[in-house]
Amino acid sequence: MLWEMKIERIFKKTGKFIVLFIFSVFTIFPFIWMLLSALKTKAEIMDVGAFFPKEYQWQNFVDVVFHSPLLKYVGNSLFISVVTLVLQIVTGAMIAYAIVFMAFKGRNALFAVIMGTYMLPTAATYIPSYIILANWNLLNTFTGLIISNCISIFGIFLLRQAFMQVPKGLIEAARIDGANHWTILWKVVCPMTKSSFITMGLMNFITCYNSYMWPSLITDSDEKMMVSQGLRKFFIEGGSYGTEWPKVMAGSALIVLPLLILFAFTQKWFISGIGGDTGMKG
Amino acid sequence: MKNKVDLKRMGSAWLFVLPALIPLIVFWIYPILRSIFISFTNWDYMSPTYDFVGFGNFTALFKDARFYDALWNTVVFTVGTLIPTIVLGLMLALLMQKAFRGKGIVQFILFSPWITPTVAVSIVWTWIYEPGTGIANTVLNLFGLPALQWIKSSDTAMLAVIIVTVWKSLGYAMIFYLSALEKVSAELYEASGLDGAKSWQRFRDVTIPCISPTTFFLVIITMVNSLQAYDQIQILTQGGPSGSTRTLLYMYYQLGFQEFNMGQATAVAIVLIIITVLLSVVQFTASKKWVHY
Repeated sequence: MLWEMKIERIFKKTGKFIVLFIFSVFTIFPFIWMLLSALKTKAEIMDVGAFFPKEYQWQNFVDVVFHSPLLKYVGNSLFISVVTLVLQIVTGAMIAYAIVFMAFKGRNALFAVIMGTYMLPTAATYIPSYIILANWNLLNTFTGLIISNCISIFGIFLLRQAFMQVPKGLIEAARIDGANHWTILWKVVCPMTKSSFITMGLMNFITCYNSYMWPSLITDSDEKMMVSQGLRKFFIEGGSYGTEWPKVMAGSALIVLPLLILFAFTQKWFISGIGGDTGMKG
Repeated sequence: MKNKVDLKRMGSAWLFVLPALIPLIVFWIYPILRSIFISFTNWDYMSPTYDFVGFGNFTALFKDARFYDALWNTVVFTVGTLIPTIVLGLMLALLMQKAFRGKGIVQFILFSPWITPTVAVSIVWTWIYEPGTGIANTVLNLFGLPALQWIKSSDTAMLAVIIVTVWKSLGYAMIFYLSALEKVSAELYEASGLDGAKSWQRFRDVTIPCISPTTFFLVIITMVNSLQAYDQIQILTQGGPSGSTRTLLYMYYQLGFQEFNMGQATAVAIVLIIITVLLSVVQFTASKKWVHY
């Protein structure tokens, strides 16, 4: 009897690890394959039988770094994402603060409108937004990319949820001490809800850095391209219509690996952010 | 005196609201209203003038076979990504519930696709799917299965796009479920009076209801994301072959930004908005029945 249970338990445990192992391999495989392909020669990559490269072609990475515009795209994406993120945090924190702590007419209506836009497909705004930027001569500019993305509805939600946990009495006490709202927001509320700010920062940074559809609609000059659009251009030129697959894979790896490393160090913020603060119950 | 204070207070509140409200109006609310307006015209972007065509764009759309194909593709894509993401995400979370050696690494691996750019990983998948030299067919051969044309054939292209999408979003669902499972307390299990032997019953009667808010949230998020999927379709298939992966959103892109048929494009956008609103209403109503807070 006892033996049977023991065997059953071992069986279950092994089964669990096998399933997790299969899924992990399935998930990580494209990344490994990307790296292996990036290190092959053009001949090797076409040979189905060759799983590993005979000699690791680090030259592919050197070529991509020094003889392609990919690093420039990375720079563009970094610059745009950082500026956008700062704007999103400031505007988001301010409006969330007003909604939670300040009494004003139309507060509920305002929140209802924001909530309504949260669900709507963003793409539905693209044609008129495109025309607005065209009228302002902001197509193909960093300014256009940044201002059209300078608020984050997700961020407003996240911060509102967090601010609601801050005791109202604390705000009133600070008001009595003579602090103004701006000071209270950044000196009292922000430190107390730091984890939500970090989560929002990481999530929105990644989203902006990776974004593709909207930037590709409003930019077509090489000078202003962000990473995703630039990588696609590189791919079209070298990959699907050429035979430069190793370089395309090296380019992809160059874009993907820093993000994976960033994620390795910040994993807990993503996980706590997804699991805890953004949940339905606030 | 009191009025003056009130006014001042109102003023500072709006000062805090405006930096977000102005962009919200300019780049969200106005464009949506403007889209509704354009959907009733025959504007082609190039010419400065346009005529009102009433519901012409919508009736043309409802007569267009392409539209129904796109609608059907959207349904297939949405359901095809939703079910595996939810079911497998929950399964993985259940398996990872208890601490074990290497849990952190497994979690890192499973979640990593979510933070990488869809464009970059879709390019990698394009290479994996290559019918002649790609590794996908090598793997199929290994198991004695026939090779597929993947993104090159209209029979399998949608499947290929769905696999990439599920691959990317699975870890996200898993993390959500993991934290939801943590909150299902041990006392609740004890109170249910069911011991470990009846684990399936316990799962059905205690766990599932307890995590229903998470399921509800994930269903909405996954659906909204599926309705808006663009990056992977653009890289893998461009809506092809022969329209087999053209979703409503992709049709909107093609009509608006390739054919410059702004009236029809915005009409598709309005249909998308209506679908999203309907879905939310249905889900919120249904959630009252099966979500237990």
